[in-house]
Parts: sequence; C-alpha cells; structure tokens
Amino acid sequence: MIPALALMAGVVLGLVFEPTVPAGLQPYLPIAVVAALDAVFGAIRAHLEGIFDDRVFVVSFVSNVLVAALVVFLGDQLGVGGQLSTGVVVVLGIRIFSNAAAIRRRVFRA
Amino acid sequence: MSLLVDMMTNTLDEAYEERARLRGTPPAPNPLQPSARRGRAVLPVVVLVLLGVVTGTAVAQVRERQEESTGLRADLAAEVRERTAASDQLEARTQALRQDVAQVQVLALGADTTGRRLAEGLTSLGLATGTTPVTGPGLVVTLDNAAADETGSTDSLRPGTAPSSSVQDRDLQGVVNGLWAAGAEAIAINGQRLTALTAIRSAGDAILVDLRPLSPPYVIQAVGSPKDLEVDFMDGPTGRGLTFLTSEYGIVVEVRRAEDLSLPGAAAPQLSAASPASGPAAAATPAPRPSRSGS
Repeated sequence: MIPALALMAGVVLGLVFEPTVPAGLQPYLPIAVVAALDAVFGAIRAHLEGIFDDRVFVVSFVSNVLVAALVVFLGDQLGVGGQLSTGVVVVLGIRIFSNAAAIRRRVFRA
Repeated sequence: MSLLVDMMTNTLDEAYEERARLRGTPPAPNPLQPSARRGRAVLPVVVLVLLGVVTGTAVAQVRERQEESTGLRADLAAEVRERTAASDQLEARTQALRQDVAQVQVLALGADTTGRRLAEGLTSLGLATGTTPVTGPGLVVTLDNAAADETGSTDSLRPGTAPSSSVQDRDLQGVVNGLWAAGAEAIAINGQRLTALTAIRSAGDAILVDLRPLSPPYVIQAVGSPKDLEVDFMDGPTGRGLTFLTSEYGIVVEVRRAEDLSLPGAAAPQLSAASPASGPAAAATPAPRPSRSGS
C-alpha cells in the first residue's frame, strides 16, 4: 500500500513540477522507466514469494536503470540507438509480462 | 536459443533467492537493529518515489514536445493564411489600379487621331499579351481529381500510384495547348490569365500557375468561338487524351460551352533585360523608350 502511494506521489510530483532534464539525458528517461518497472515487478513477485529483500530491490533497481541507459547510450554512439532501445524494451517487456503472470498466479491462483 | 529460454523462464532476479538462502529458510529474525531496519524499509519507498518522478517527467516532456509541434504547425498555417489574404488584397488593388491606368490612358490618348490610333494599338496588344481583361463566349473545361473512394485508400501507402489519380501539371498543359491549337483567343485557369510568360508546373502536390498554387477543381476558361473550340478541341489529340484520363484514372472532366465568359487581365510582365531589337521590326512598332532606341 505504502509503495503504491509512494509511486503515485512521485508521478504527481513529476507531472506538477516538471523538473528540467538536461537535453542529453532526455532520450534515456523512457528506457530508465521501463528498466525500473522491471525491477518493481520483480520485487512484487519476490514479496509474494516471501523472499523480498529491500537491499536486493534497491540495488537491482539502480543497476537496471544504469545498465539500460548505458546500453542505449552505447547504441547511440554506434548509430544503432533506436534498435538497441527497441531491444531493451522488448527484453524488459518480456520480463515484466512473465513476472506479472507469476504475480497473477499467486494472487488469483489462476 | 538457451539465452532466449533463460530470458523467458528465469524472470525473477536470482539475487532474491540467494539472499533468502543466505538468511536461511524459514526467514531468520532480522539481525539488524530495529532503527536500522526501519531505515532500510524507507529506502524502497524513496526509490519508488524517484521512479514516479522520472515517469512523470518523461510523460510531461513528451506532452510538451507534442504541444510545441502542434503549436508550431498552427502558427505556420495562420501565417500562410495571413500572407495569402494580404496577397489577394494586393492583387485586387493591382486590378483596380490597372483599370485606372487604362481609363487615364484612353482619356489622354483620345485627344487627337494619332493618340486614338495608339490607344487602339495598345488595346489590341493588351488583348494579345493577356494584360487586358476580356469578355466573350467560349469553352469551359473543368478537371478534377478522381473521387477518393474510386482510387482506393491504399494510395497513400503506395506513393507511386498516388499522383495518377490526381490532375497533373502536364494534364493542364495539354488542355491549354489543345485550346490554343483549337483557336482560343484568351485562356485563364482558376482566374489566372495565361500570358506568353505563364508557366504551368507542379511543386509537390500543388499545381502552380504563374507561381500561384491552385487547388482543384481546375477550371480552364477559353474565349473563342464556342462551337469551333469544342469541335476542334474534342476531336484533337487533347480531347482523346482527356477521355483516356477519365477512363484510366477516374479524373473528372467536364467540357461545356459558355456564352459570356469574363477573364481577368494578367500583370504586365516586368521586362528588365529585354528591349526592342533595332531594325525594320523595331521601326514598325512604336518604341516605348525613344531616348534609348535612338542610340
């Protein structure tokens, strides 16, 4: 409950204050969001399986975001930024969906 | 292959299980101090707030960019409309001034016989060059793009086929040439009088006549003997070409006679480099600039 509220509060804060992001970082925001979502879904699943660990969550969150941004940055330098962004989104999307499926199985037993 | 399978099956971070194994199952009582534990529990919340802020910022930015682009387009469209209106006003003013000039000319030249002869010469020259507005019977040829449902909606996806269903600049050129050949004495397209210097060409999807973009339907008015014009035009190669355009591409063509057409005059061409050649031809026509022709 509290994590969900925290997420909502963050979204509202971001929408209301619209912090200015350096132009160089702007392409990485969506990728960072997707990577972070992957970490969040993994954490929810781990929580339902009773093996949640806040340290693992924070570390995986930060490293997910950094690695995704790094991969896309490298892609930009090599001229395949668009394709690598797609790759990152596809891989993380698959993980998000399978984690969501696992969560669904645990919650609804279906 | 194993990489893909691994990606599909092991979706949970292995670190969770490792930490759980380290702690031992069932979860052992947390060895940390209560206060430190509380501090650790706050950390995920902070991270989640951070995620929310980043998400909100990204969303806000995408929206802002969209607004910027639509605003820019609206601004450009407004400017185009404004400029077009201003240009139309100037055009109307030019027409009025040209009429004034013609009236004053007739008044000034009407005093004696040489003046009257000059005025007649001016009028016939104006008729020939297309700078004088004319009225008279004639033929009206209307070309319009094929109806959208006839050509199919796939045209936009296949750029190669799209232009064929719309009127092309060379269609208009052909019609105009055919009308001249059939004996037309004055021609205007959508109210743009054609002169010897008028170009009919396309820029992108638009057809330009005398550098002014026209939009369909294209109405070509030709002054001349309606009967002769129609017979000669429709029997000539252009008429057959129009039939082909209709049957093959669905271009809407309408040809009708008109008893009373009134065509505007074109702007007099501004000749900056050309001057009358000296010789018998120059001597036969009144020289516009005696001071120069004498040299």
